[in-house]
Amino acid sequence: MSLFEALFGRKKKSAEAAKDRLKIMLAHERVHALPYIDDLKKDIIEVVKKYAEVNDIKIKTEKNQDIDFLEVEIVLNSPSKD
Amino acid sequence: MGTIITVTSGKGGVGKSTTTANVAVGLAQAGKRVVAVDFDIGLRNLDMILGLENRIVYDSIDVMEGRCKLSQALISDKRSKNLFFLPASQTKDKSALKKEKVRELLEVLKKDFDYIVIDSPAGIESGFENSIFLADEALIIATPDVSSVRDADRVIGIIDAKSEKAKEGKEVKKHVVINRIKPEMVESGEMMSVDDVLNILAIPLIGVIPEDKKIISATNVGEPIVYDKNSLAGEAFRRLSRRILGEDLEFLELKSKRGLLGIIKGLFS
Ligand SMILES: Nc1ncnc2c1ncn2[C@@H]1O[C@H](COP(=O)(O)OP(=O)(O)OP(=O)(O)O)[C@@H](O)[C@H]1O
Ligand SMILES: [Mg+2]
Repeated sequence: MSLFEALFGRKKKSAEAAKDRLKIMLAHERVHALPYIDDLKKDIIEVVKKYAEVNDIKIKTEKNQDIDFLEVEIVLNSPSKD
Repeated sequence: MGTIITVTSGKGGVGKSTTTANVAVGLAQAGKRVVAVDFDIGLRNLDMILGLENRIVYDSIDVMEGRCKLSQALISDKRSKNLFFLPASQTKDKSALKKEKVRELLEVLKKDFDYIVIDSPAGIESGFENSIFLADEALIIATPDVSSVRDADRVIGIIDAKSEKAKEGKEVKKHVVINRIKPEMVESGEMMSVDDVLNILAIPLIGVIPEDKKIISATNVGEPIVYDKNSLAGEAFRRLSRRILGEDLEFLELKSKRGLLGIIKGLFS
């Protein structure tokens, strides 16, 4: 970063915005394209239900085409809300 | 047995037909026996790019439905004698292509040609499936903009699902061609670079084609740019063709002529 940029801040170039937006968008779309994703979700819910109330499951990936990384976020029904 | 190369993209208008024509010519110029097949049913335009539109009598649907022999529908190119062209029908009905008929046709072509280069319609409907299900290789064309890259990603994701090769446990070779790069915009940070796109799509690169006005004039007259020895895009297509043949060639270094160095050089020349 140049002194100018350090002092006055840098406006994000549009190509960078394009990259960032694509990465976020595709992390979701790639997961939804997986043929087994709905079944996987159902199965996870079944398993977790044995221990806690599940509200929602969010799955995403950081990886590219050959997906080798799924991030699963299990949202539990918090008992305090009941 | 010949190799089937399907040229595809998610988004329309990104250069599939242009690439099909130039790769077909490029492979033929390298001595291969090539047939360019237009599977963009209803919207034929590969004929115009190849400059063969006046010679069409029959089309692929006529062949598949037995109205003529394959040899009657194949058009031989005047300039490249190893090159043949099989036009698309102009019937509006895209479902005119039947999978089993397509298979019969492509299997015959595979016996007679080294390369079968298929131009496919945009999108991922039935036309896409007919173009891809027997492919050995796929060239995915993308331009460096968000919608093209996003749609390319979807296409890459479903190629294997539609491919017979993949069902047999083999792999469809997938490569990306990045088209319409504008070096000055990449340099100023207003266009994604080749690396940016590759980083997102994560399949290997096989061609980088610069934005080149000569492509439009080449299409106007029906002479693919790859014949033009002095054009940068032509050179890019020649290299792309040779990479398909297995050569390991450097990618063209695309730089704007208006960069600082260009200005200084300009002052002294
Ligand atoms: N590198 C380039 N530089 C300049 N113009 C280009 C370049 N590549 C393609 N074009 C132009 O862009 C237009 C669309 O190209 P083309 O017809 O090959 O795209 P397509 O993907 O086949 O479109 P469709 O999805 O409609 O079949 C044409 O006018 C073509 O001349
Ligand atoms: Mg086209």
